[in-house]
Amino acid sequence: MHTLSKLMIVSAFTALPVTSLLAQTPEEKGLEIAVASDQRDSGWINVSSEMEMILRNRAGKESKRKITNRNLEVDGDGDKFLSLFKQPRDVEGTAMLTFSHGLEPDDQWLYLPSIKRVKRISSKNKSGPFMGSEFAFEDLSSQEVEKYSYKFLQEEACGEFECYVIERIPQYKNSGYKRQISWIDKAEYRPMKIEFYDRKNSLLKTLVYTGYQEYETANGSFWRADKMEMSNHQTGKSTSLLWSNYDFETSLSDKDFNQNALKRLL
Amino acid sequence: MCFRKTIFFGVLAVFSAGASAMDATVKIELEATSYTSIEDESKFEDNVAVGIEPEIKGSFNDGDLIYNFTPFIRLDSRDEERQHADIRELHLLNALDDWELSIGISKVFWGVTESSHLVDIINQTDALEGIDGEDKLGQPMVRVSRSFEETVLTGFLLPGFREREFLGSDNPLALPFPINNDPVYQSDAEELNIDYALRFSGYKGIIDYGLSWFHGTSREPSFMPGFDGRLIPQYGLIDQWGVDIQATIDAWLWKLEVINRNYDDDAFGEDFTAAVGGFEYSFYGMADGLFDLGLLAEYHTDSRNDPSSVNFQNDLFLATRLAFNDAESSELLAGIFVDQDDDSTSLRIEGSRRVFGDAKLSLEAQAFSNIDENNVSYEFRNSDFVELSLELYF
Repeated sequence: MHTLSKLMIVSAFTALPVTSLLAQTPEEKGLEIAVASDQRDSGWINVSSEMEMILRNRAGKESKRKITNRNLEVDGDGDKFLSLFKQPRDVEGTAMLTFSHGLEPDDQWLYLPSIKRVKRISSKNKSGPFMGSEFAFEDLSSQEVEKYSYKFLQEEACGEFECYVIERIPQYKNSGYKRQISWIDKAEYRPMKIEFYDRKNSLLKTLVYTGYQEYETANGSFWRADKMEMSNHQTGKSTSLLWSNYDFETSLSDKDFNQNALKRLL
Repeated sequence: MCFRKTIFFGVLAVFSAGASAMDATVKIELEATSYTSIEDESKFEDNVAVGIEPEIKGSFNDGDLIYNFTPFIRLDSRDEERQHADIRELHLLNALDDWELSIGISKVFWGVTESSHLVDIINQTDALEGIDGEDKLGQPMVRVSRSFEETVLTGFLLPGFREREFLGSDNPLALPFPINNDPVYQSDAEELNIDYALRFSGYKGIIDYGLSWFHGTSREPSFMPGFDGRLIPQYGLIDQWGVDIQATIDAWLWKLEVINRNYDDDAFGEDFTAAVGGFEYSFYGMADGLFDLGLLAEYHTDSRNDPSSVNFQNDLFLATRLAFNDAESSELLAGIFVDQDDDSTSLRIEGSRRVFGDAKLSLEAQAFSNIDENNVSYEFRNSDFVELSLELYF
């Protein structure tokens, strides 16, 4: 079913030159931009990176987490992820394996190093906070085109760039959001800002991407933001994600994304 | 032991090849326990203890060759028998394509249920560390594993048996009889008997499953009276089959573990089949996202059907788990075991919270109530305790 829906999207995309000559609905234009953004970031095959997470409460008190990530692109399905927790030290060695499936529930396993146990966990908790941060699990999950419906709103300046502004509505179950407004730059189709509206349609959080770097690889060039800043307008808390050590030329393959691999991560 | 030598030279050869990454940490656990309902004057009523666990790990050769060394030391202010040291891990692991080979001392966990771990058999329980059976002694092994698309087949060769150790008689959680620490083995090779195990595990959609077989010396002893009045632990040879299944459906986790144990010689124990099964259901984002609430229920059964000798022969476990969505990862688990034959009940509470940014404070309490005098737990009826511990990392 995924393959089919993805095919439909791709055929919609390839049919563009014809349809874009005719009058486009805002929905068609929104989808077209989402597909273009997805296409622009396809083909990286595998990547590893490090992430530092800084949580700030309303009083400005900080706490830190460090996580290393390994991602594998999967054709015709959602991507595979491995996350290894480095800090805080009481959870050091804890690791999570995710096979994402777009609209279907993800498969997810947690490794608990103190008792060497791998535990299959429910992936229903999309809207819950990741590690006590302002990022929900759904904010950090694989962003497949079919997970939202889209509507083009307008074009406007976003900082030093020109952006498309698109409304997207989650189509997967158990989302904590009624809708999101996303700013995507016209030149490279990179997300610049996302506003998240809760189920009651009040503005909940704003995510801002800064410090984009272009990584030249054998498979093409890919843009990644050095910093993602999530502010919660309802609680006054915020979380920064600082990304480093991107490596798009790892030897990672399917055999590095299974339960045995989960247990031997360093 | 020639096996130890092999590891030693293997480690030496590898170190001389040059390490590419190394990570060393030390965990220190400070523990204070109060036994709140002691009636027997020979038992102590409070205790302070320290656990030290350094861990050195790293890799060579671009991460294909991984080593781990984790010794453990327990110092105890009251119970000399509980003072002990163990090598939890000392192994080399080589991952090559779909193969994985590990040689040395390791810990392995099998199973899915929360309130007992029937299927888990590779490592001896470290009975000096806690009554929940989750602490394990390091087991020497050669482990070969082959991964397929959605399955893994693993073979174990287990040279060197680890005998179970027992708490001192003045410890409120000690077994109610004096124990001779010179065990009897069915195998002529005694603790040098070579045990074998095989495990096939995998997943298909919402189902995770494991099928396992163990042949060798039972990790669980039976006891026979010695001439001096002390009981002698005896370890028979067994064949044990195990099955574990989990179905993950939305916020439901359905779990089942079944084992069948066959003793080679009836004098060492009675053959039996035992099972534990149940569910865990989670309500996410309760009280405006403040916490997640989990409800757990597991039922235990055992073909030996005798509450006076078997812990979980017809018992129900009910629990609730609160996981707070705070920066300190606060957690609270409260559970109750009720024996359906004689209503003997034990209550357990576990709580934890991160403190000082990088340390963990835990509280553990256990209460026994309405314990029937014929129940296997009868001797623990006055062993209620509250334990506070602080884990520090360096």
